[in-house]
Amino acid sequence: MIWTIARAAERGLLGRRRTILMVAVAAIPVLIAAIVRASAETSDAVPLTAGLLDGLVVRTVLPLVALVLGTAVLGSDLEDGTAVYVLVKPIERWRIVVATYLVAALPTAGLMGLVTLAAGLVVGGGRGAEGVAVAFAAGVAVGSLVYVAVFLALSVVTGRALIVGLGYVLLWEGLLGGLLEGTAVLSIRQYVLAIAKALAGRDGDAITVTFTFGGAVAIALSALLLVGAMALGTRRLARFEVRGD
Amino acid sequence: MTTAPIETATPIIELRNVSRWYGNVVAVNDISFSLGPGVTGLLGPNGAGKSTLLHMMSGLLRPSAGAVRLLGRAAWGDPSIYRSIGLVPEREAVPAHLSGLEFAVLSARLQRLPNPAAAAARAIETVDLVDAQDRAIGTYSKGMRQRAKIAAALVHEPSVLLLDEPFNGMDPRQRLHMIELLRTMAAEGRTILFSSHILEEVERLAQNVLVIHAGRLAASGDFREIRRLMTDRLHMFTVRSSDDRALGAALVGNVAVFGVELADGLMTVRSSDFAAFTRAVPRIARDLGVTLFELRPTDESLESVFGYLVGR
Repeated sequence: MIWTIARAAERGLLGRRRTILMVAVAAIPVLIAAIVRASAETSDAVPLTAGLLDGLVVRTVLPLVALVLGTAVLGSDLEDGTAVYVLVKPIERWRIVVATYLVAALPTAGLMGLVTLAAGLVVGGGRGAEGVAVAFAAGVAVGSLVYVAVFLALSVVTGRALIVGLGYVLLWEGLLGGLLEGTAVLSIRQYVLAIAKALAGRDGDAITVTFTFGGAVAIALSALLLVGAMALGTRRLARFEVRGD
Repeated sequence: MTTAPIETATPIIELRNVSRWYGNVVAVNDISFSLGPGVTGLLGPNGAGKSTLLHMMSGLLRPSAGAVRLLGRAAWGDPSIYRSIGLVPEREAVPAHLSGLEFAVLSARLQRLPNPAAAAARAIETVDLVDAQDRAIGTYSKGMRQRAKIAAALVHEPSVLLLDEPFNGMDPRQRLHMIELLRTMAAEGRTILFSSHILEEVERLAQNVLVIHAGRLAASGDFREIRRLMTDRLHMFTVRSSDDRALGAALVGNVAVFGVELADGLMTVRSSDFAAFTRAVPRIARDLGVTLFELRPTDESLESVFGYLVGR
């Protein structure tokens, strides 16, 4: 059943123009990495790679792609009414949430993981920054899974998921994250950086993190947030109401 | 207008004191009725609450108060009821990237039918969409999209069919076909409730109606019976006989007759008592030796009844 729903959602999501646009957006860090490599010194490859992946991928492209795909995969169908044809079937709501989640989360994690790795290798490959690139790619892949879960749940909770999600990324993770260290406990960006830092070993010193509990806790909190978001999405979908005249 | 609600021994659809409000706006106000197998038309002006009512019956909207039960189970919060329900929503949104056949197959798969392809092919044939079944729904006309939606709703052969404005966008031939299809399905014992603003179609398809006005149930039951219960409205009849003038003069003296008008060779009689008048006319004609050719009520159409009920 999950497969059937996922196939239908996949055709709806991945056939759309916005997905092509997201792939183009995701490719930007690789292009910028190439420009940076051409102009940067060889000696500072690790901090340079870490800085580029943090600023360009983790802070910008990752949340943007996850936000667009995560809110669209189920949210756009709920918004335009086509979700009714799935909702009026004898299907447990968790199956709908899981199926649509997989359709958005797996491509996002795959795409962003690859883009991060490629950008990291372009800027720091052959200069000793390969480990940082791999560590960031793993962190970004985990972050993609969590971001998409949160944004999908948001799209079931509110019709303004894009704005609320953008608020979370810009205000909570961005503005408040810079002012109040405690916000890191509920910051996917900080989980990604903490995981990358833990995996990068000695090179992890080049990664600045305000989340101080370590990579293992970051993974545990990521899993908790993901499961919580899925549970919330399921619960709200079970109570989803279609308005009449 | 108070009439006897449509009550059946084993209600398939049952609403008890159902209300639904959005903030301060009351969309549906304390509605109760029961429906059994057969076709029932849901009538009401735009914004009367028809779609809200259908959405509550199909489990897509929770009642603010009261209970909506389908086949003895609460409609809200139980996806398993959709094994027995087919819903055709009014909203035109359909997955534009799927073909009509793919849409029906998807519905069959989501219903966990043993042979989705065969069930979908049957449904597509039933709604007469075979010629266009492989085209993307995005390229369909409004009427074709409507039929694709109906095919998807019929694919699991539900015992309850809820249709919100199903005839929208269909041409006359398709409408006739759909009316015939719904009649056949009702004759097979299914419970069919459809909303429509096209009174002629409701009249053709359903004798039983639910009339919703401003969120309230204005009347329910056989619309001709409803008309006869409207004792505060005079009944209009046209009468044709071998001597209209003599018959008219005699009718004026009858207590059930409120007025007689002879114009353009046609006699129109207004009566305050349907039963008394229809009993009196043949007797008066016989006493006068006048041959009665026709006695026909002219405001028993659904349109008249609907107009009276919603005050148009």
